[in-house]
Amino acid sequence: MKQPKYQLRAEKGLTVFEFESEGPKGTIPKLIVFTETNLNGFYNLAFGDKDKRTGKINDKVISNNNDADKVLATVVSSVYAFTDKYPEAMVYATGSTLSRTRLYRMGITKYYDEVKMDFHIYGQKKDGWEEFELNEEYDGFAVVRKNK
Amino acid sequence: MTIKELNRRKTPIVIIDKSLEKYKGEVLFPEKLAKANEVLRTIGLPKVNGNRRKKK
Repeated sequence: MKQPKYQLRAEKGLTVFEFESEGPKGTIPKLIVFTETNLNGFYNLAFGDKDKRTGKINDKVISNNNDADKVLATVVSSVYAFTDKYPEAMVYATGSTLSRTRLYRMGITKYYDEVKMDFHIYGQKKDGWEEFELNEEYDGFAVVRKNK
Repeated sequence: MTIKELNRRKTPIVIIDKSLEKYKGEVLFPEKLAKANEVLRTIGLPKVNGNRRKKK
């Protein structure tokens, strides 16, 4: 992806990533975490701000650091890094609020043309899954790397 | 690899940071994980050809 991204750091298993958002609110450390669910190979992607003092994570805070596009591109690139290491993994993501979920949808939409070449993308509805379509509302999203 | 090639890469260069090992195995977002497990329980997985996963 050509979009500007932040430098990612990760532990060697590439399931926990950290980067620093930089903007008018200063430097805000952010964590992206891929956690395996009750089903082998099905991972939940969660993302939030790390409190500099306590190290605790908050996924509800709105940072307003004027870098949403760069943050989004960084999260997308972490999915590439994670699925390079775990190519069979399916990654699920949903927002902590409806507006956050909408933000994820906007993110997928923004990178759709690029991402669809490398991933199968699914949208979660109340009663099941469907192939992701632009301009549709979803409760959550799942992606899995295409076999090349 | 040239800077141009580096910029075109979709997979980013990731710096390994040992200080992040402390988060490994810790459930940092329990509500989100519970939500994902609930989705699995209620609607299961999207249908992907050749996609076979085992319950833990």
